[in-house]
Order: sequence, then structure tokens, then C-alpha cells
Amino acid sequence: MFLEQLSGNLFQGLILGAVYGMATMGLSLIFGVLRVVNVGHGAFMMVGAYCSLWAFHGLGVAPILALPLAMLVGMGLGLIFYYTVIRRLIKAPELATLLATFAFGVILEETIKLIATSESRGFNWDIGKIDFGFTILPYTKLIAFAGSVLIALLLYWWFNKTRAGMAMRCVVEDDQGARVCGINVEWEYALSFSLGLGLTVASGVLLTMFIPVGIQPYMGGGYTLKAFVIAVLGGLTSPYGAFFGGLVFGLLENGSYSLFAQIPGLEPFAMTRFFSFVMLLVILLFRPTGLLRAR
Amino acid sequence: MGAARKYAPLLPVLGLYAALFAIGLLVPGKWQLIAQLVFYCALGQAFNLFMGMTGYVDFGYVAFMGVGAYGMAVTVSSLSDKGLGLWLIPLGLVHAAIFSILLSLAVGAVALRLRGAYFAIATIGVNEGFRFLIEGARLWNGSAGIIFSRNMKEAFGREGAIEISTFWADVLVFAVAVLAAVMTMVYLCSKVGYALTALREDEDAAKVMGINVTRYKIVAFITSAVLAGLLGACAWALKLTYVYPADVFEIHYTVEAIIIVLLGGAGTLLGPIVGGLIYAASKYYLAVTVPGLQLLIFAPIILTIIVLFPEGTVGMVKRRCRSTVLERFIH
Repeated sequence: MFLEQLSGNLFQGLILGAVYGMATMGLSLIFGVLRVVNVGHGAFMMVGAYCSLWAFHGLGVAPILALPLAMLVGMGLGLIFYYTVIRRLIKAPELATLLATFAFGVILEETIKLIATSESRGFNWDIGKIDFGFTILPYTKLIAFAGSVLIALLLYWWFNKTRAGMAMRCVVEDDQGARVCGINVEWEYALSFSLGLGLTVASGVLLTMFIPVGIQPYMGGGYTLKAFVIAVLGGLTSPYGAFFGGLVFGLLENGSYSLFAQIPGLEPFAMTRFFSFVMLLVILLFRPTGLLRAR
Repeated sequence: MGAARKYAPLLPVLGLYAALFAIGLLVPGKWQLIAQLVFYCALGQAFNLFMGMTGYVDFGYVAFMGVGAYGMAVTVSSLSDKGLGLWLIPLGLVHAAIFSILLSLAVGAVALRLRGAYFAIATIGVNEGFRFLIEGARLWNGSAGIIFSRNMKEAFGREGAIEISTFWADVLVFAVAVLAAVMTMVYLCSKVGYALTALREDEDAAKVMGINVTRYKIVAFITSAVLAGLLGACAWALKLTYVYPADVFEIHYTVEAIIIVLLGGAGTLLGPIVGGLIYAASKYYLAVTVPGLQLLIFAPIILTIIVLFPEGTVGMVKRRCRSTVLERFIH
């Protein structure tokens, strides 16, 4: 009984983990290229969730079709934010960019709250489910999983096979060297910042497949924390590391939920949130370079 | 440099608090507003003691206030029938301090090994993590919180309990604010302050010069945490006579502390007080004129300050007053 439940939970965790991983790729990309930590990460995911909600209720199309729209919204926000604020702060102490991204997140949250009020909303996109025997998976989650993997593969292809992607990797390795090779580093900064935020907002769309109700302006906070755990698992600078970190995190989160539920007197959901925080500290303490990379 | 001259910048601060205290006592109906103002000044000062001096942002700062509030709540609710009388309050403050020291040691042991962005990432979940530990493990009554107004009445009598939560709790907040100002000044004028300034400017250079940066970081981190704990115990637990995990670990207060320190000027003595007064007064005003939009107004202000005036109000005034008589009093 317990084993069946555990395997079901782990399977669900793997599916959700892929979305977590894709959601964190943008964070890692931005940190890798610009050394800027996007503390407002969750707020950008929240914007994506609203894109999906509005596509469903307003336009009446499948939420998954909001993906390109969300990507564009994110990239637009990224360009605006980069050219008005971040560009002036690249040389400033880290404190400045931490606070700036944080403040931008607050602006997003408050603006959405102003437009859509702070009540929890959601939608019901029912297209059937598939029965695996030990667990039942709605097709919507399967679509989100496939979408995450596809986007991750696209990014992999872009980084490895296109000139633009390779130029960006150059900047991650050594921005002085990249400059010497004639790469427009300024532009790479702007591009990777807006691409990173585009990915983050798009991931908010995929996330809505897992939270039928619960789309509200302040939903991002918890995901910011999870994204940091995942990014640190993956070594913080590598988008692929982040994707695999997401898979690991999804498994750990759902696995620990099953275990906590076995212990009487505990609230398993709250304990899972506590567990992810402890995990963050433990990884930072023992493996600050991430799980994949050797020291 | 004589001690009197060294500590001269404290004079305007203490004068300001004395004036606020007098206004609160003498002008009827203004006490609660003054108490709010001083709460934000104290919050800014306590936060500034670590963030302003070191340049490290602790996003989980509110957790120290939360455990401080719990320290007071647990003390009053479990010992109210022991006949301790007014000794219960100092005991509660001691517990608040101990709780916040323990949490700051636990967090600091991990986070203070990390630098810059990694430090911020490590602290960002402290408040959430602790809140979910309390709720998940059903610690201290779990998500139901501790409501101890009945215990207050039992310990201090009906009149006494009301007087404590409407007046003496605020007086204690004043005391914490003054304590925070004095501690800031003591650190600014001592080796700790010089070491932290060196660390903020260039941590590697400071290390090479033989400064034990870790030690000074820990000192500032714990001091700042204890002040937060005391503040939580007075301004939340004692004043409201209830503590809910969802309220006292709300990241909102960390945001407010950041805004206050930035508005006033990080790493200065007067900065958080000026920032606190500006912030609390405009928050009070905005809550009346445009309710619910305060954060939407303040967030762009933070961005503007970071980009255009990174030194804050006091930093700018300080530069203007260089080589005048006023220079001695502004720090």
C-alpha cells in the first residue's frame, strides 16, 4: 500500500519536476551570464500563470497556446527592465541588483493585484486522463511535461548548434575573452536577460496545469524558494544543471511528502516546505557547486 | 578624539527620540502614531546594523522578529500562573533574545560562510522555512498560534494587562530603538565598524590585511538578530497578545526594513531613523489616501533610489555638510 503510494507520488514528482526544472532554467541563465540573482523570480512565474488564465477565460483557447504569448511578454518585460535598471547596476555591488530584482517583483505583484484583485482564481481544462495502474495522470500534466522537455531540448540545441547560442556561452565562460573575439557583450547581456525572463514567464503557463485553483498575485514566493533550491542543486550557472536539478527536486519533494505523511502528528505539506529550505542550506554548505559537477 | 566628541552623532538621535516621546505623551490621541513611527525607526536601525554595515542582504530577517515574538508569547502563556508578577516581562525579553540568538547561530553557521548572492539565496527561505516548521511539526500550537490575552490578565490583572499592551509595550519599543542607536554608534566607532566597512568595500582585501572578517560578521549578525527579537517581543507579542506563524514570519516586514534603510542611507547612524520616519509617515498618509497601493508606490521608489541615489537621504546630506559644524553630528 505504502509502496504503491510512494511510487505513484514519485512518478508525479518526476512529471512536476520537469516543469520545475524548466522554470529554473531562466534563473540559472541570468545568473550565469550576468551574475544577477533574480530575487523576483516567482513574480515572473505568476505573470505567466495569469497569461494562461486570461488565454483560457478571455480568448477561450487552450492554456498551452498561451506559451508563445507568455514568452513574448517575459522577453518584453526583460528588455524594459534591463535597459531601464539592470544595465546601470552591472558594475555596482551585488546588493543593488538583489534589491532591484526584488523591487521589480513587487511591482509586478502589485500591478497584477491592481488589475485582477488578490482573490485566488483558476480554470478547469479537462481533456481526460490516463491510468497507469499505480497512479492516474491527467493529459494536461502530460502536456506540461512534454512542453518542458521540448523547451529544454530546444535550448540545448540553441546553445550548442547556433552561433547566437554559442556566443552566449562564450560570455558565460569569460566575458573579457568574448569581447576580444568581437562578441557584442552588451547585447548578449540584454538578450540573455530577456530570454531568461521569457523562459520564466513561459514556465508559469506550464505550472498552471498543476494548480487548477490558486492563481493569485502572491503565489510566486514559494516558487522563488523552490527555484533557488533547484538552481543550487544544478550548480547555479548552468541551465541544464537546473533542468536536472528540477527533476531531482520533484522526486525529493514528493518522496518526502509520502514519508512525512507516515509520521503521525505532522502536517506533511508544511513539512515538505520546511524540508526544501533545509535542503537548500545543506547543499549550499556541502556542495555549493551543485550535484552534477565535481568540486 | 575624546569620547564625548566621538559619540556626538548620538545627540541628534537621542534628542529626536526624546522629542517624539514627549509629543506622544503630551498631545492626546497621537501616542499610537508615534509608536508606529518609532517601530519603523527601530526596525530600520536593527536591520541596518547588519545589512548597512556589511552590504549583505538578509531576506529572511523577519524570522528573528518572529521567534522573538514567540519567546515572549511562550513565556507569558506558560508561566502566567506562577505569580512572577512584572518579572514575567524581562523573562520574556530574555527568552526572545535567546531564541533569536539560537536562530541566528543556526542560520549564520551556514549563511555567513557564503558571500554576496549566495548569502542572500541562503537566507531567502529562513522565515518561510521556520514558519512551516512550526506549522508542520505543530510546534507551539502549530498554525493555530498562541493567544495569551487571558494569561496577561491572570498575571497582571485586567487594568495592568491593558496598560502593558497599550502603553508599556510601546515604551519598550522606544527602549529598543535607543539601544539599537547606541549599539550602532558603538560599532561605528570601534574596531568592529572599521572591520565591517573594510569588508563591505572589499572582502578579499580586508582578509589579506589580516582582519578576521568572519568574526565581525557574526558579531553584527547576532546583534542585529537580538534587536529584531526584542522588537518582535515588544511590538508584536506584548502589544497584540497573540502570535500567529503566518503573521510574524511575513516577508513584508523584511521588505519594509529594506525600504527604510535604503531611503535613509545604508551604514549610517541617522539614516534608518530618517528613513523610518519618512516611510512610516508616508505609509500612514498613503493608507488613508490610496489604500492598498502603498507597495506599488514604494517599489518604484526603491528602484529609483538604487539607480540614482545609492547613498540615501542621509548620505546626500552628509556630503553637503562636509567641513561644516554639522559634520560632527551627522553620521
